[in-house]
Amino acid sequence: MTEFAFRSELWTAQYTGIKANTLASFARALKEVDDDTIYYHLYRNLFEYHFLPTDYGNSFAYWLAENGFSVLAEKFSALDLLECVCIADMRERMLDILRSDIDGIEKICKPFYFIRAVRRTIDLGIRARNLEEFREGVGKVGIHSLFYHLVTSRLYHGEPTNDFSRWLREIGEEEKAEEIDKLDLMAYSLYEVRNRILKILSES
Amino acid sequence: MLEEYARFIDEGSLLELQKVAERLRGVKVLHVNSTKLGGGVAEILYRMVPLMNELGIETRWEVIKGDLDFFKVTKKIHNLLHLPGEEKLNHEDVITYMKYTYENVSYIDTDPFDVIFIHDPQPLGLIVKKKRGQKWIWRCHIDVSTPDEDTWKFLEMFVNGYDASIFHIPEFVREGVRIPAFVIPPSIDPLHDKNRELKEDYVHHVLNKFGIDPEKPIVLQVSRFDRLKDPIGVIEAYRIVRKRYECQLVLAGSFASDDPEGEEVYREVLEVKGDDPDVFVLNLPPNSHMEINALQRAATVVVQKSIREGFGLVVSEAMWKGKPVIGSNIGGIRRQIINGVTGYLINSIEGTAFRIKQLLADEKRREEMGRNAHERVKHSFLITRHLKDYLLLVSSLIDGG
Repeated sequence: MTEFAFRSELWTAQYTGIKANTLASFARALKEVDDDTIYYHLYRNLFEYHFLPTDYGNSFAYWLAENGFSVLAEKFSALDLLECVCIADMRERMLDILRSDIDGIEKICKPFYFIRAVRRTIDLGIRARNLEEFREGVGKVGIHSLFYHLVTSRLYHGEPTNDFSRWLREIGEEEKAEEIDKLDLMAYSLYEVRNRILKILSES
Repeated sequence: MLEEYARFIDEGSLLELQKVAERLRGVKVLHVNSTKLGGGVAEILYRMVPLMNELGIETRWEVIKGDLDFFKVTKKIHNLLHLPGEEKLNHEDVITYMKYTYENVSYIDTDPFDVIFIHDPQPLGLIVKKKRGQKWIWRCHIDVSTPDEDTWKFLEMFVNGYDASIFHIPEFVREGVRIPAFVIPPSIDPLHDKNRELKEDYVHHVLNKFGIDPEKPIVLQVSRFDRLKDPIGVIEAYRIVRKRYECQLVLAGSFASDDPEGEEVYREVLEVKGDDPDVFVLNLPPNSHMEINALQRAATVVVQKSIREGFGLVVSEAMWKGKPVIGSNIGGIRRQIINGVTGYLINSIEGTAFRIKQLLADEKRREEMGRNAHERVKHSFLITRHLKDYLLLVSSLIDGG
């Protein structure tokens, strides 16, 4: 049986030196910045604010709302990060949204500062060889480990499934894998997500 | 010491910290700043350095030497970077700065270290000592986005010799910083007298000492007496609130004996307060950490109506104590408060009054926002997060070659 290695993802934020103060310059920057910059702003809410009841799903949407682009803000906010397996696709979808509504494109706004996530994956040294050890591991690791295995892993593998479910399928736990895959990570804090996963893993 | 902090973070976060540190075993780190006592930088280093050592990273802390002349110049540089005015950096200032920089070059031995953190502009010139293979990081604790141009030009040649810089927020980064600029917000120490838990008796004792009624709602602003903190604006907001709500206003702060403007502002505030017995203007000695802590814990609503702010960690201090904070929609304050979730961001005196009234009227909302505020600080503004960010940065610089 394959071993499951628990890892975690940590970020350092690096300012790219790019800022936008109109919708037009925002769209231009969105085309130019690297994937880790798009990643930072799309996933930051889930990474840092998942335990708080926030209004919008990502930092782009917040900036749009703050500057009076409420329709665009809603559309950006509705981007489903769990369906995202490729940042390039997400970038295109955002640019499409911006193309659909160009009112006020030169209006001067508060600046948006583009930040890059300098990402680091660390091996936590925790291994699981069976369901029981896996459950213990899930209970022990930090929320950034859950973020890595449930969210980032989709991007690494380019598949709409997460690490936990992939491994559970390997050990023949199809139902549990399916249930974890269905969890709406955007609706719960990662703490709640952990509790739900632990409950799923405990069900006989 | 790490054990003492472990109770503020979850087991998983502690493990992550240890794992990041494991990869840095054998790396020697030096922090250099201008004082061991007083100020936010020293407060953080006082805990950060032992924590790094405990995690197995050999870390030292050195303080540069300088006399009154030198520190007058560095204070001037600080002001010119943060808030440019009519004053200019003159030839003599530059000579004084360079003279002490070269004295410190001989005094502080940076050679045995792999990574050197230089805090703020005072020791910036030490970069001339950089040796091949070392990583030098400039940790800037002030807003240098709109500096006096000549002063910035003088410092820029030093800044761009570093391998990386760190700023509190991206807004503080000066265009022209050509080295990588990382964004690492400052943090509060939950074990500091400013923040540690207090017995209710002590909180009551402090209220009694100042004649504040523990039964009547308290609106609090903690800040030094400075026009940029807009204490008069806070009194005006309170007056609007008082038309409908019984409450007290506490303005707690201090001014240094060598700060004539502070004294002037203090007198202005007293004048505007007039004979209102529900307004308390408290000029406290600089180290009144426990008293401030008690006032924050006793407050019903906390306000931070600054016009300009470095980062405004006092906001996080109040949030850590479970208080919703009404703060100006500027700089570091807007990075701490999530509008409508942990408190409110405001843009005017009227807006401040409106939000104070909303919170005074709704205990449930206060409690909910207070809980959110505490969680926000727990995740984002504690020293353990700060430590993790430093370790990650060091790690990425070393791995990056």
